[in-house]
Formats: sequence, structure tokens, C-alpha cells
Amino acid sequence: MTVNVKTIVIIPALNEEDSITEVIKDIQALQIADIIVVDDGSTDNTALAAKKAGARVVSLPFNLGIGAAVQTGYKYARRYGYDIAVQVDADGQHDVQYLRPLIAPILANERDVVIGSRFLPPFSGYRSSFIRRLGIHFFTRLISLLTGVQVTDPTSGFRACNQAMINVFADDYPSDFPEPEAIVEAKNASARIGEVAVVMHPRLTGHSSIRYLKTGYYMIKVTFAIFLRTIQQKNKKGHPL
Amino acid sequence: MIKIFTLGILIIFVFLIIQLCRSGRLTFKYAVGWLCFGAIGIIGAIFDNFVSVLAHRCGFIVTSNFVFFALMIFFIILSLFLTTFLCQQNKRNDIMAQKIAIMALELDYLKERSKKDHG
Repeated sequence: MTVNVKTIVIIPALNEEDSITEVIKDIQALQIADIIVVDDGSTDNTALAAKKAGARVVSLPFNLGIGAAVQTGYKYARRYGYDIAVQVDADGQHDVQYLRPLIAPILANERDVVIGSRFLPPFSGYRSSFIRRLGIHFFTRLISLLTGVQVTDPTSGFRACNQAMINVFADDYPSDFPEPEAIVEAKNASARIGEVAVVMHPRLTGHSSIRYLKTGYYMIKVTFAIFLRTIQQKNKKGHPL
Repeated sequence: MIKIFTLGILIIFVFLIIQLCRSGRLTFKYAVGWLCFGAIGIIGAIFDNFVSVLAHRCGFIVTSNFVFFALMIFFIILSLFLTTFLCQQNKRNDIMAQKIAIMALELDYLKERSKKDHG
């Protein structure tokens, strides 16, 4: 691993005190990245557990939503001059052993954004509900149609990006259910987007943020968001934090 | 009678806006639109024949339909304006919360370092 490349892992967390410690310990064991946990207004001891585990913790004063929490991590990464930022979920779904393969195309300057895909061989055995697979397939096609970007796992939150994209995401990051929309934003910024095969596990604790929302609402909302993002004006001036 | 009643309501409305401004519950920036609305209403109530002519020119047979239509358009535009304002405030709120959170982390770090430095 290149020594002078500053890498940071961004972990957005909301009420994940049961799983956050293990996730942090697993990342620390790799010894390749700093960790910033963005506590998105948790009502449990997520922030305390993360601090005890040795991570730096940015505690948002109230719940801003997953998009703003991730964006806070990118703002922190930009402020402290990190070269690579990796997003990892706090629920233990993402196997951090694949952190090195995830950032390898960025280190080799082949990609600007790399998404960890559950559906690429040799680990394509990930099983989720029919409706979820249908949604993923729909967004795969939609993103391909609108932007020409071919991804197999547009809803994966396990992704890495380089400094140029840290700047883009620090200025502007989608709010709710941000993953598919962020791909379109990256494409709008002319990013080279790629995927690597990763393994994802069932959640250690808690429940998915979209479990209680109607899937139809999610599909419609994200579809509109992707359409709007596709036609969004470029060169927006962001807030310099 | 209706003319006097309408005028009375509109004058009370304008007076209310001015009072809200004086008490600081409404800033001048956002009161301007309502004051203009009140003024246009008063002018329309005084020169009601002009409103009728305008309604017929626009293709409305009944003047009241024209008035309701105009009000509906006004409130739709107002709602859109308020929604954009709300979005802007929401974004500013998010930026402020993010900034405070990062600064709080930095402050904690400085405090810890200061403690270590001073024994």
C-alpha cells in the first residue's frame, strides 16, 4: 500500500451502538486508513462506543439524514486533505477485508469512483428479496440509459473515491437514498466509475433504513431524483467547508 | 355594500401586515409582497369596473371567476416561492449543523491536547 496516500473511512451511523465497535476494530486491523464516524443524531450510545473503539466522531446536533451524514464525512476529508475516502456502513454489512481491492483502482489512477458490488463474480451469490433485486435491476438500467454508466450494484453504499470526487461530494451530495443518485452526480462530474466484487453480510443488528418505507415510494422518489440530477446545471459553487 | 365590505377587509389586512412588521414578527423583505397584494386588492375594489373589463378581455364571462382564478394563481406562485425558501433554509441549516459538528470535534481535540500539554 502506498504510504503517503492519506485514506479515510467514512462511517455514517444512526443508532448502531451494537455493531459500530466491531466495524471500527475490523478497519483498524487493516492499518490503512483513518476512521471518521458521523453520528447522525443517534439516541443511543453510538458516538460513545465509536470513541471508545478509537475512531474520531463527528456528532451532528440532530438527525440530518444519510446523505448529509455522508457529506459531513466528505467535508471532513476535504478539510484535512485526504486523498481517498471510503464509505462503509455502520451495520457490519460491508466486509472491510475488501477495502484494499476497493481502493486499488484509485491508487492505480484507473478510476475516480469505485463501487463495491455484491453481484459481480466470483461473489455474485448475494441473495436479497425479490422486490429489492427488482429495484436494483431497475436502477441499473435507468442509470445505464441516462448516463451510459454500467454498474451492477447501484444501491451499494460500499464505495471509494479520490480527492477530486471528495471535493465534488463535499460540495453537493444527494440527501435521501443517495447511492444511485451519487453515481449520476459522479458521472456529471466526468468521473471514471468502476466496480469491484465484494462480499456483503447480513446486518449484524438493527434494520434497513428503507424497510418501513413503501418500496414504490422509494422507486418513484429515486427515479425522479436521478432524472433531475441528470439535467442538473453543472459548475455549482458549493459551500467551502 | 359588497364594495365597502371588501375595502374594509383589505384595509384591515394591510393594517395587520403593518402591525406585524412593527412588532418584528414579519420582516419588511417578506411583507412587501403582502403589502403589494393588499394595495392591488384595494385598487381593484375601488375601480371594480376596470376588473370587470379586464375579466371580459381575458375571456371570463363572470368577473368573480376571474378574481378566483387570479387568487389561485397568486397562491400557487406564493406556495412555490415559500417552498424554495424552505429548501434554501433547510440547506443552510444542514451546512450549519455540519460545520458545528466538525468544529466541535476540533474543539474537543484541542482541549485534549491542551490538557496533555499542561500536565
